[in-house]
Amino acid sequence: MLFENRTSRFFGIVAIFIAIILVLFPFFWIFLESIKPPSLGGRPDIWFFEPSWENWSEVVLYSSVPLNILNSFFIALITVVISLICGAPAAYAFSRFRGFKGARYSILAAEMMPPAILILPLFLLLYKLELIDSRIGVITAHLTFVIPVVTWFLIGFFDEVPKDLEDQAMIDGYTRFQAFYKVILPVVRPGLGAAGVFGFVLSWNDLFYSLLLTGAESRTLPVAIAGFWTFRGIELGKMAVAILIAVIPVLILSYSIQKHLIRGIGGSGVKY
Amino acid sequence: MHIKYKLILPLVFLLSGIMLYPLLFSVWLSLQDYRLTRINDVQFVGFENFGLIATDPSFLNAMGNTISFVVSAVIFELILGLSLALLIQKLVIFRGAVRSILLAPMFITPIAVGLMFRFLLNSEIGVIPFYLLKFGVSIDWFGPELALFSIVIIDVWQWTPFMLLMFLAGLEALPKTPFEAARVDGAGRWLTFCSITLPMLRPVIVVALIIRALDAFKVFEYVFAITRGGPGNSTETIMYYIYQTGFRFFRMGEAAAASILLIIFILVFVILLVNLSRPKVIK
Repeated sequence: MLFENRTSRFFGIVAIFIAIILVLFPFFWIFLESIKPPSLGGRPDIWFFEPSWENWSEVVLYSSVPLNILNSFFIALITVVISLICGAPAAYAFSRFRGFKGARYSILAAEMMPPAILILPLFLLLYKLELIDSRIGVITAHLTFVIPVVTWFLIGFFDEVPKDLEDQAMIDGYTRFQAFYKVILPVVRPGLGAAGVFGFVLSWNDLFYSLLLTGAESRTLPVAIAGFWTFRGIELGKMAVAILIAVIPVLILSYSIQKHLIRGIGGSGVKY
Repeated sequence: MHIKYKLILPLVFLLSGIMLYPLLFSVWLSLQDYRLTRINDVQFVGFENFGLIATDPSFLNAMGNTISFVVSAVIFELILGLSLALLIQKLVIFRGAVRSILLAPMFITPIAVGLMFRFLLNSEIGVIPFYLLKFGVSIDWFGPELALFSIVIIDVWQWTPFMLLMFLAGLEALPKTPFEAARVDGAGRWLTFCSITLPMLRPVIVVALIIRALDAFKVFEYVFAITRGGPGNSTETIMYYIYQTGFRFFRMGEAAAASILLIIFILVFVILLVNLSRPKVIK
């Protein structure tokens, strides 16, 4: 019995170790590629070399990537702010009032909507409004998936706030809206933060809409990354740099909301 | 107006504009012969587009590819995610750190993941084929036979963490008493897993499966980053098909019809899955 326990524990730890290596190796290899001198770029047999920051300085100083970062950042930020402004009151209403069961499910349905069905009309509408290659166009498209996610995310958080809280506030003379705004919102601030970060990451990571709705001016980082490896040419080192720039902030951000994620994704639909 | 309607008004207003209206527009679009090349000459053609799409071999091929992709990716992710969750749950030290590392892939942009693996698995410059060759193993990861499977592997790399996240939370929330009772009764680990853990985890498994499957239907970035549907059309997924039809061949009407067929398919799929997974009530 003891023996069985020991071997199974050993294999368990080995399995976790392998999983960690499988997760980390691609990041490690991309980082290595980003600091390889361009003459050694794309060589799979080179592990040790004099690090060169040439790729980094090329990308940061002489490419469109800084503009792309700004675009991505700006678009994600505005998208999240609008989503929270519209989503928070609605999520509160869904959590507190009867008669919204259908509305809840439509939020879920909106969340599951494949972008393929919305891109065609959105493209044509934005084209007619002359908003192709504009940040507003991309924000509009990103709202279609960030709003439902943020709203769904917040329902779970509002559900956990005891109703006594706003009842008390209303006895004290607040209106329902004041109670929501002045009492409940501050309580769910961690939820707002987590939903905001999650929505930001979703918008920051999107390729599909940005690919079809942006041009040189409004191009976002994921679209720019895709441009480093096309049929026209490969710029591995620079691609590696751009990937790291896109990935590192997101990893740091999402680390900060990890413990809130479950409540958010499961919404109030799942009770564990 | 009751306050509850005022609270949802901004959301309803915005979503009607950016989702409901485009959706209806899409339905209208699917009934027209709408080409981006002849934008001023749009003709109503009824259900002709649906007929064209439903009999188009590449649509059926894309549907088939997507279904095999979704089924295999989700099954792999389910098994791997559950196993890892069970292992991590037993960890006494470093549990938080291990968890954070293993969750990382799910947060990063899929296009980066696609390009990373295109680089890692490339038969000329990829580090993985290079060292496999030293062991005499020669695999063409993006060749006609394996390309779709490689895309599955990439999806598994990125999204097993999602399953892991769901199952870790699910396991943590399980009550302790049944497990203690099982131990007192001398039930083995395997028996405990099959008769207690798995049934109690069932709701979480179903939710995780549905969310992941629906998300996997949208697979686009890996295909766009690596194979562009090829070799031949062995990795053309439904999203890529719609993208091609609408924005490469400029046939918006047909693309809209395809996207509506996709939605109907997904709807049927979800309803089936939810019904199948509902526990049978024993009277």
